[in-house]
Amino acid sequence: MKNSRRIVQIVILLGVFILGGYAIGSAVFKSDDKPGRGSEPPAFSLVGLDGKVHKLDEYTGKGLVINFWGSWCEPCVKEMPLLEKTWKAMKDKNVEIIGVNVGEDELTVKNFVGQFGVDFPILLDKDKLATKKYAIGPMPTTYFVNSKGKITDIYVGMLDEDTLEERLKQLN
Amino acid sequence: MFQNTKCECGHQNHVGTVLCEYCGKPLNDAEDANEPLEMRYDGVARKSQKANPSLIDKVWNFFSSVKIAVYLIITTLLGATLGTIFPQESTFINGDPSTYYEKTYGTIGKIYYTLGLSHTYTSWWFVTLLVMIGTSLVICSLDRVLPLYRALSKQQIRKHMRFLTRQKVVYQQEIALTGSAEEWVAQAVKPLRRRHYRVHTDGSALLAEKYRFSRWGPYINHIGLIIFLLAVLARGIPGWYMDQYIAFPEGEVKRIPDTNYYLKNEKFTVKYYKDSELPKEMQGENRLIAELYETNAVLYECVEQCDDPSKKPVLKEVTRHNIEVNKPLDYNGFMAYQTDYDPTLRLRSVKPEFRNKETGEVYGEFQLEMRDSALSYDVGPYHLELKEKYLDFGLNEEGQPVTKSQEPNAPAFLFLITGPDLAKEGELYFYFPLQIDKERFDQEALNAKLSGDFAKKFEIKVNGMKNVGLSTTSFLTIRVDSAMPFIWVGAAISMLGLVMGFYWNHRRIWLRFDGKQLTLGGHTNKNWYGMRSDVANLLKQMNIEVDAKSLDNGGENR
Repeated sequence: MKNSRRIVQIVILLGVFILGGYAIGSAVFKSDDKPGRGSEPPAFSLVGLDGKVHKLDEYTGKGLVINFWGSWCEPCVKEMPLLEKTWKAMKDKNVEIIGVNVGEDELTVKNFVGQFGVDFPILLDKDKLATKKYAIGPMPTTYFVNSKGKITDIYVGMLDEDTLEERLKQLN
Repeated sequence: MFQNTKCECGHQNHVGTVLCEYCGKPLNDAEDANEPLEMRYDGVARKSQKANPSLIDKVWNFFSSVKIAVYLIITTLLGATLGTIFPQESTFINGDPSTYYEKTYGTIGKIYYTLGLSHTYTSWWFVTLLVMIGTSLVICSLDRVLPLYRALSKQQIRKHMRFLTRQKVVYQQEIALTGSAEEWVAQAVKPLRRRHYRVHTDGSALLAEKYRFSRWGPYINHIGLIIFLLAVLARGIPGWYMDQYIAFPEGEVKRIPDTNYYLKNEKFTVKYYKDSELPKEMQGENRLIAELYETNAVLYECVEQCDDPSKKPVLKEVTRHNIEVNKPLDYNGFMAYQTDYDPTLRLRSVKPEFRNKETGEVYGEFQLEMRDSALSYDVGPYHLELKEKYLDFGLNEEGQPVTKSQEPNAPAFLFLITGPDLAKEGELYFYFPLQIDKERFDQEALNAKLSGDFAKKFEIKVNGMKNVGLSTTSFLTIRVDSAMPFIWVGAAISMLGLVMGFYWNHRRIWLRFDGKQLTLGGHTNKNWYGMRSDVANLLKQMNIEVDAKSLDNGGENR
């Protein structure tokens, strides 16, 4: 009698501990769905201008710069040459730069890339699913992800040589 | 401390017992006390009351206290009010919370955000309070319901004299018995049964009881609340809960993020009240008040090539529904609610014709979509290749054509046209579907520059508004909430418990004869007026006239 009562007590307290712990834990560690510094970037799976599907996984172990842009966004267009130059310089230094076009037709993007001489990989996010996951507000927004797969910075606005270089240093 | 819990009737009671579990004698009161008894839980000891509590017992006792439960509830209520000061983050459709509060409310807003009050109801301390209330609910109930159940299921019929005289309803009188006391008691059974009492007799003692089930009301209510809380908690399980706000322009099939579903807004209708239909004081103010807004929606499920963005997904229509406010689309728990609309007309498509300006001959028409435009068109003997496309045409500082936004505000298309009697490499032709843009950007001059005489002979032109596709935008809230059935079940059980406890009350009448002296005690958990009237009625049936009010023995809850 006494023993069974103790067992009931322990079972109930344990149940409360597990359920309550789960509830409180998920409240404490909830990353409010938004990627931030130190967190892992959300996975994506997008078609590139090369016609192939690119996923976040294929860049593991590399420093990664993800630039969200659109051809209608002037500062995005203005920072393209800098990204292009940096991409050429960093290609062999374990840093990859990719551009994610937000919601435009392939034709528009292709023409733009041809017109401005962009060679670094461009992915198309036509349904804006990745844009949503990455919580992109104003553009351009650039994510910096280090070789360990953690976001080191999220830069909103146009990059210049100094701001870019400073952030590239943190990637390896 | 050692406490003697043995009653004079010989029964060994648990520690913490107030009224002897067997005969009902008050155990701790002074011999001469005569105020009405504390009858809660029938005076039995709560489960947690023990002589030497261990750590587990201490935790248990903490949550077993109703006082603690009341403090927890008050704290939670106060905490919940904090979340009502400013709008919560979860209600934002867009906008950045980290700047919104300071911008809108100043320093107080900043403090509010920094303290995390912008998401009060999902904050760790609020969830902790809810968990503690849940724990207290379970432990408080368990600690009381089991002893109470035991006490009520093995009630002694002949109660201690002091137990009876210290009830709130008491009658004590010498009776001029015509027969034996046992006969009197046997006669009392019938009128009690007529009033729905269950009657038990033991010689010259009697116990009549009705509506005992109402005592379980609060516990059933608590079970319902626990189910409710667990269901709310279950929303945290991946896939159980989703809430999204999405714009659906007419005619576009849009993927719902994180699901396998696609939804198409086939047609959006908004109907406004006529001015004469509005209340008098609103008339003549040019108010637009929607009488109806409705989205004809089609829901598709992706069946093949769903996760490969390089391939076109194969969609299968699963259901269609005309969504109105409060009439959501519901497909196996996948809900789409009408939330808002944007009546601004946007150009969706045009169906221009390709014609010869000089002869007036029309070679054919083609459907030109603003988004996802096809890259080539065959019109009569001619072939049109889409080379460039600008949704919001403009020129940048270097004089290059660019698009200024993602909206089709000023669409422009550059075609390469090949066909009979044209240059082999084809002719370039700029096409602005909107008349205003044709003039603003001077389509004719532009084409003359691009292809000279060609533009004088040929043109692409929309013939009439029927060939222009305009679209409005409907905003839907997409929601999946698998916890909802459990929430309803919990709420229903909780309501059942409340009804049981509110509309019925547990009444008991004990009586005993000592020689010719009748002693009667009555107890109920509420509605003492009814209790006294039941007793007065019984006595009347037994030919004893008594004023119901005179049965009142003092105490609260009259």
